[in-house]
Amino acid sequence: MKRMTTILLANPLSLLGVLLVGLVVLLAVFAPLIAPFPDHRGAVVDFANFNKPPGWPHLMGTDVVGRDLFSRILYAYRISLILGVVVLAIAVPIGVTLGLMAGYLGGWWEYGLMRLTDVFLSIPPLVLAISIMGVLEPTLMNGMLAVTVMWWPWYTRLVYNITRGEKVEGYVLAAEVIGASKTHIMFREILPNCVPAVVTKMTLDLGFVILIVSSLSFLGLGVQPPTPDLGSMVAEGAKYLPDSWWLSVFPGLAILIAVFGFNLIGDGLRDILGADR
Amino acid sequence: MSLLSLRQLGKSFQTGAHEVRALQDVTLDVADGECLAIVGESGSGKSTLANLVLGLFPPTTGAVEFDGAELPVVRTLAHRRSIQLVQQNPASALNPRRSVGASLQLALDVHGIGTSDTRPARVAELLRDVGLPEDLARRSPTSLSGGQRQRVAIARALACESRLVVLDEPTSALDVLVQAQVLRLLADLRARHNLTYLFITHDLAVVRNIATRVAVFSQGRMVELAETETIFTAPQDPYTRRLISAVPVITEEEKTMRNGLSQS
Amino acid sequence: MTLVLNIRDLQLAFKSWSGTSEVLHGISLTIGKGERVALVGESGSGKSVTARIVLGLLQELRGVQISGSVEFQGQDLGAMPDRERRALRGTAMSMIFQDPTSSLNPVFKIAPQFQEVLARVTPGISMSATRVRATDLLREVAIAEPERVLDSYPFQLSGGMNQRVMIAMALANRPALLLADEPGTALDVTVQAQTLDLMRALVTDHGTSVLFISHNLGVVREFADRTYVIYRGNIVEEGPTRDVFENPGHPYTRALMAAQPKITGGGLPDLVEGDRHYLEPRFVHEGVA
Repeated sequence: MKRMTTILLANPLSLLGVLLVGLVVLLAVFAPLIAPFPDHRGAVVDFANFNKPPGWPHLMGTDVVGRDLFSRILYAYRISLILGVVVLAIAVPIGVTLGLMAGYLGGWWEYGLMRLTDVFLSIPPLVLAISIMGVLEPTLMNGMLAVTVMWWPWYTRLVYNITRGEKVEGYVLAAEVIGASKTHIMFREILPNCVPAVVTKMTLDLGFVILIVSSLSFLGLGVQPPTPDLGSMVAEGAKYLPDSWWLSVFPGLAILIAVFGFNLIGDGLRDILGADR
Repeated sequence: MSLLSLRQLGKSFQTGAHEVRALQDVTLDVADGECLAIVGESGSGKSTLANLVLGLFPPTTGAVEFDGAELPVVRTLAHRRSIQLVQQNPASALNPRRSVGASLQLALDVHGIGTSDTRPARVAELLRDVGLPEDLARRSPTSLSGGQRQRVAIARALACESRLVVLDEPTSALDVLVQAQVLRLLADLRARHNLTYLFITHDLAVVRNIATRVAVFSQGRMVELAETETIFTAPQDPYTRRLISAVPVITEEEKTMRNGLSQS
Repeated sequence: MTLVLNIRDLQLAFKSWSGTSEVLHGISLTIGKGERVALVGESGSGKSVTARIVLGLLQELRGVQISGSVEFQGQDLGAMPDRERRALRGTAMSMIFQDPTSSLNPVFKIAPQFQEVLARVTPGISMSATRVRATDLLREVAIAEPERVLDSYPFQLSGGMNQRVMIAMALANRPALLLADEPGTALDVTVQAQTLDLMRALVTDHGTSVLFISHNLGVVREFADRTYVIYRGNIVEEGPTRDVFENPGHPYTRALMAAQPKITGGGLPDLVEGDRHYLEPRFVHEGVA
């Protein structure tokens, strides 16, 4: 683990990724301390300072109702990260378990689970999310539900492919000959060998989840106002382009930094862990 | 008395339209404490035989008897415990993401051998038994040499305290110096623990120096079964003779013997 | 005597982020015209990288440090431009690999693969000319139905048959040097014996020099005129094969010979892995060319 960290930091691109993600996480965690106007995350109106270009004390300017953009971005990071973590925390265990079952148990399990996965993978993720949100109320909870539903099949597919390869390895045969249970073989023998690829994918996906949630919010289906969200901020700000450029450019940059950072780390991890499958 | 008996054992596989007879009508008794070599080339059925003995798939015909009782198609834990396996490729036989100790302890956990307090000590004892230092338990198999890994795989087979060990080409992936050590270890362990070996190999030179009896397989049938000495000095089946005369050898003495066989 | 291959003080190191690892510590090896020379050693001894340097496959990689000289038919390979060195592969020198089935391209039939080989020397050779030439070449390796083989995919042929096809292809352009890396190791013993007999007969007929790389002592004993023993990147012993095997001078060679189980019996020897005596200076038998 220590060695891995050393290698990761030795690669300039991964290092940049770590720095970017570190910055985003720090900003999100310490948002209440850093944000110059913490109460601007909510429904605050300050018409004295509306639509101010970047300057002091509003580093990134203010929005159409006079809220500090920088403060809102920090809080938006918080929500995006929490959303990303929650989505993966639900989607990954489900996806991984089903992938292990399909790959190791084979037979009808394999057939049934993989066809189900194919069905989900064949629907464009955003379309699926939009239809779910359309049926249900466009709330934050439903947003997470929608994203989770479209995320687990990717992990099923990934873990299924790895498991198929690992299943024929000698150590699996050895465990079978000893008499170890199927549960043991799947979760204690094969799963550790899927971890590198899964962790790599999770890092990449944190960026993608943020992007997807932003896209949904952009369409008005994600995080609802007045809660700050990067996607809805971009959408809102786009109406005032090009005059009030800061309204959409800074939230856009914020999305870029987070997604780019996670992708750089993911690529670095993939190289180190040899998880390129 | 025989520990393992194969009764008219046969196995066919369905591939597409036609049936492949991997093993046909093998009847064989393996005596308690002997090292029976199963010799053959690819397609001889020797691996199928090993898998049938281990119960990895059911036979098409016949049965496997162990210690006087017929083994069921679905093996119980007790059956699994009594027959263990050492595989050919030490690189894949140990889980690269689990420590050596964890791999060894698995057998103890599964069969409830000892208690969770005594198991680490037993793991250390197993490592010593195969000539490895105890502190290897904490290491990852990826940091071990091929010979060390194969020793760990042997220790894992011993962990179950089985009486029969199926050795599937246990030294063919090893370099000659390491092979010599592992063969010596296997011979010592058999003597110390009164083990019975089913030694599956294509290497006749190895067989000559470790087996008590040899069964020669060709195209799914057992063509000859005899004491090791007899197989090498007076082989009866033409295939056995061909096999021995194809062995690449290094000494003049061996050449003389081999040439003697191919002319007879 | 003209030397086909002359390796002098060859050193090889791989550089990576974790430091430099030295693989060859100055090995010297010569092969005369028509000579069959074996390089025998265990895995990781450096025998396969030596063949890859001769083929010029390592020189083009990053992080590879090579010093010393490799002369092929009097030309220094190190001083040669990459393009010229590449032109030698498949023409003046060719290689046979361990696993014949995976060395042939599974998606093409044998005939077009032959065409590609022959086109190295005769650019634009037609398919009909290829078939005529390939039929002769396959007959040379004792393939009874060359026409059927030419129209087959590699997976439709047995391992032994694929190995023969590989040998025929390797010798198709009448190379001066054939590099054989563990040939036949993946084959059954009976097939292996036939393949080696065939290969020996062919290289003798054509006067091809062979660098035979193997860990299998028996195979080396039966095939090579001269033998070099390599241990951890050092040549520890060299000499006529018979002398090396019957009267090994170096402690490492002696250990190898003792460790090889004999079909005449005699039990299993007690041996120490990595004995310090294995690093003793090189032992050279008299009568070396």
